[in-house]
Order: sequence, then C-alpha cells, then structure tokens
Amino acid sequence: MPVREQGGNPRSAEEDAQRVRRDHDAISGLADDLLPALIAKLAASGLGEIEIRQGGWKARLRMPASAPEARGAGKAADAHAAASHPAAHSAVRGAAVHARPDDDLPGESARVSANSPAVGVYNPRKDLAVGMRVRSGDKIGTVNVLGVNEDVLSPVDGIIGSSLAEAGEAVEYGQELVRIELPEPAADKLADGPKPEPVGAAGKS
Amino acid sequence: MFNKILIANRGEIAVRILRACRTLGVGAVVAYSEADRDSLAAQLADEAICIGPADARRSYLSAPAVISAAIVTGCDAIHPGYGFLSEDEGFADVVRAHDLAFIGPSAEVLERFASKEATRRLLSAHGLKTIPGSTMLRDEEHALAEAERIGYPVLIKPSGGGGGKGMRLVRNARELESAFKVSRSEARAAFGDDSLYLEKFLEENRHIEIQVAVDRFGNAVHMFERDCSVQRRHQKIIEETPTPALNQAQRLDLAECALKAVAAAGYENLGTLEFLIDGKGEAYFIEINCRVQVEHAITEMVTGIDMVALQIRIAAGEPLGMTQADIVTNGHAIEFRILAEDPAKDFRPQSGLVGAYLTPGGPGVRMDSHLYPGYEIPTYYDSLLGKLCVWAPDRATAIARGDAALRELLVDGVTTNIELHRAILANQVFIDGKVTTSLLDRVGSAPFVAAGNR
Repeated sequence: MPVREQGGNPRSAEEDAQRVRRDHDAISGLADDLLPALIAKLAASGLGEIEIRQGGWKARLRMPASAPEARGAGKAADAHAAASHPAAHSAVRGAAVHARPDDDLPGESARVSANSPAVGVYNPRKDLAVGMRVRSGDKIGTVNVLGVNEDVLSPVDGIIGSSLAEAGEAVEYGQELVRIELPEPAADKLADGPKPEPVGAAGKS
Repeated sequence: MFNKILIANRGEIAVRILRACRTLGVGAVVAYSEADRDSLAAQLADEAICIGPADARRSYLSAPAVISAAIVTGCDAIHPGYGFLSEDEGFADVVRAHDLAFIGPSAEVLERFASKEATRRLLSAHGLKTIPGSTMLRDEEHALAEAERIGYPVLIKPSGGGGGKGMRLVRNARELESAFKVSRSEARAAFGDDSLYLEKFLEENRHIEIQVAVDRFGNAVHMFERDCSVQRRHQKIIEETPTPALNQAQRLDLAECALKAVAAAGYENLGTLEFLIDGKGEAYFIEINCRVQVEHAITEMVTGIDMVALQIRIAAGEPLGMTQADIVTNGHAIEFRILAEDPAKDFRPQSGLVGAYLTPGGPGVRMDSHLYPGYEIPTYYDSLLGKLCVWAPDRATAIARGDAALRELLVDGVTTNIELHRAILANQVFIDGKVTTSLLDRVGSAPFVAAGNR
C-alpha cells in the first residue's frame, strides 16, 4: 500500500525499517526531480557547490573532492543531496541521504524515475523490461483511477531500470514506479561538454 | 459503524475528524495533497495517502482522486469536512455508487437543499419566515407597488447573477424610479437577462444560526444557536453561544421553529440553519449548511456533545441516542478564528514558516489547530490556522478568559489576526453584545487595532 504509516503504536523492527526505507525513497524522489536541473546549473556555473531551498527542504550538490576531470559535473555521479525537514515528527526524514548510494561506480549513469500521475492501481505495460530503451513521453504503464486509465510516462529518454511498484499495486499520486537510467552516450556527451572548474572551486570564488 | 474512514480534507478539520475517528475506535486514512505532505493530520494519522498536486481542483476537489484513494486504502466511508466536496450532491451520489458512505446528508437530501432559492421556498412552506421579496418585476409601476408592499428600504436585485452587478439599494419611491432603468440595463449587460426582483434590506442585522441533528429514523434535536455577527466581508471571525441578542424565550422559539421546519422538510444528519435577525428581533431564514460547521466547537463546549462523532454515527445509520430533553446547555462559549491575515494590510493572506508556537491553557480553553513549530503554511488554501475556543459559566468570564488565552497564544513567523480579536473583545459594542454583521466593514478594522494597541 502506498500509505505512510505513522502513529503511536509500537512497531516491529521490520516495520520500522520499512518506514525508514519509504521515507528515504521519498527523499530520493525529491532529489531525482530536482537533480537534473541542479546538475545543469552546477555545470554551467563553474561553482564547486550549489544549494537550494524550497519550503522546508534543502538540497545541496557539491563537486567531488577527487573527481577525475573526465567525469565532469554533468554526470552528477557524485552529487548527493542533503535533505532536512523541520517537522518534529519526521526526524527520520531529517537524515542526510545519498541520492545515489552507488554513485562511485565508474560509468554509472544518472537516473530518474517515472512517477504515478494519480492515486489508483498501477499496471506496467506488458512488454516492459529492464534494459528497454524509452523516449521521453513514452508510455510505461497505467494507473487505473475508478476504471479510467491514466498513463504513466517516461519523463526522459533513457533505459528502463528496476521496478519500484508491482503490477496491481495500489499507488499514490507522485509515487515512483519505475527507475529510468540515462543512457551512456548522453552521459558521455555531457562529459564532453564544457569542463567545470576542478574540485574545490567553491573556495576560490 | 464504519470500519475505516477516508478524511478528504485538510487543516484543522482533518485533525478534528481524525480525533473523532479515534474516539469512536474507527480506522482513518488522511488524504492529502502534495502541499500538505507534512501537515499535522498526515503526520498524526496511522495511514495517509497523497491524492494529487497542491491545486485543490486536482486533489481535495477531485471526486475521482478522493474516491480512488478511499477504495485503494480499503475505506468504507468518506468524511468531506467543510468546504471542498462537503455539500456537492453529485459527489455524494458517486460516493454511494462506489458502495462507500458519504458522511453527511444523502445525495437526495443535498439535492433538495442545493438551491438557496428552492430551499427558502421549501422551508417557508414549513413555517419559516424568509426575507420579504417580490416576484419578478414586470415594469416600473409593478416595482413601485411591490416596494410599497414590502416596505422601504429595498434592494433591487437581478435574477440572473450575483457579485453586486445591477444591485441597488433604494430608500424611497423617488430613488426606485431613478434606479430601476439603470439596474435593468446593467443586468442585461452583465447577465444577458434583465429580470429584476426586490428584497427587503435589513439594515442592522445579526447572524444567528441553529444547529440541528436528524437521524435516518426521523429523530430530530436542535442544539440551540450560535451568534456569528462578528464578520468581515461576510466572513465570520468570532462566534459565540448563547447569543446576547435574544432572550431565553426567543432563543427557544427560534430553535424549535427551525427544527420543526427542517425535520418536516425531510432533512438528515447535521445541519445548520442560518438566520438574519433584524433590530426588532424578527428572524429571517437565509440558508442551510448541510455539513459540520467551522464553529461547531462552541456548541460542543456548551452541550458536551461530540458533534463530529455524532455526524459519523448518524451517517453509519445509528439512531441519535438522545432526545431534546437530554440536550442541556451550560455556560457561554466563544470561538476566535485565528487567521493568517494581516489586518493592517487589508487582511492580505499570509504564508510562511511557523517558528515558535505556544497554545494557551487554563480552565475552559480549547485550541483546535493544525499548526506545529516548523510548519510551513502553504499558499494554496484558506488562511484559517486554527480556532481558539473558550468556555466559562457566564459571558463576562468567557470574554475575560478569551482575552487571557489570546494573550498567551503565540504564532511566530506569520502575521495573524490575534490582536484584532483582543481589540474586538475590548470594544464596548462587543461587550454590550450589540455587534451587527456590517459593523467591522463599516468602521474598518483600524480603530479596533489602534484601540487594542493603546
């Protein structure tokens, strides 16, 4: 179920872990929405670090301390988002979270996700498979809202990654359904673009 | 009783409904928009589900989103709160078509009371006095005759629409003669329909409403009245019960008339009948609200009845479980609507991050609010931050407790109308119980605020 479970009842360790994971997923989602724009800004600015605030959220991207120049900021492979939140009840969401836990892998591509357009029951398209190429706007599946199917669309050109929701699962509005990985050529192209200032540029300007 | 209720609203009323559900031992799911992800209701709830983006038309006002959320979370009823979809008979109908219960009157009842005009005719037929008015005016001669019959001053009103266009206040036959043609052409230009009618203008009126509850078996009770005369541009800001404007016999008479009429007209569940009371104590029915009211809490304080729990029980098909004789009011209660508005800047709505937040305490003090320190007030919705309610054995003590509580209430980081409330409490017209609905608009809030700051 796509619901956040909270409240005063004692919970098992497993439930706690699930809740933490869901919260982390929520933060990753936010970061994934913001990251592409931030990455572009960071690359264009030549700064070493960029931070934005929106509502009670804050996301900060920093150039890696030992990034080989070839990787470039455009890959954003080392960018990580720190998210904090003022609500007393959601201390777990206040923890800093790496948007990409495995972002040190060489050649790792940037990822985004296709999200639910509505609250309802999710079904991926029948031929959806990991590794499949999709274009921005391609239909990835549907969310059934009272018998009416709303399309789940890929927000970018990319490659289908892992599924984050099962067929037939109830999903909420905005829920991440499928990871989309940006293809290598795109990442390479970005790397060939204008080179950002090397590490530590933030201190210089 | 229901198994699980979807709360399709936000702010303080979502928290209030959640509390009622827990009191009744019923499960609850809070439906929230993206802008309310961190709302108090969503955080307090055992379950919460995001139904759409900040835009209410795609979340709190979207029937498919709300109903779909209820179905996928396994709810068997939807509580609409107030505003949004709470009085939408089409929504109530679709909810039922999906085998869910709508917590409020049935779709048939909502439809019967949907049109203000038809409701006035219906309840007038059941004995309630409505504001005297004319039929559609044929010509100037007809208008003069009707005005004479109703008694000046009268309002010339276009039948085609609202917003004040084509509307004229006239105090005598000469004014009527000169205004009639202008109103007619204005109405034609604005609404493509130049039909006009007359309505008696009540100069100094009070707004008093009667709370009723009717179950499916025809058992009906009233819970007396609330006086909502302290208004700004037709928005209530302070409500109290009992009203200082009527004596005991008048209060009882109005409540009994209202209950009799609404029960005979086939009403069901909680309802509020609104009246304008003129200077002579004459009550004119204006409209019925088929939902829980913002100001229900003061009735709870003087009757001891949990109105939201009662509303849920009635919708679940339970009998009232009380008779009129069981409803005894005790003491005096006042509600202050705490709004994120700047009285010094034409009441412009404020948003922002709530810093320190301290709620008042002491005997007879109740704060219903969705605020917490660190809460970001979204810009998308109304400016109600909460309701501070006070109770005391008598009105003077209630005013004193109100002032003490308002002094304690601290909402840092956002401009509110707390000081305006204190100024009104200190004003002699309020102390004398003589506020009329137009007072704040006529004198403006500046004198109140200035007096409060001295």
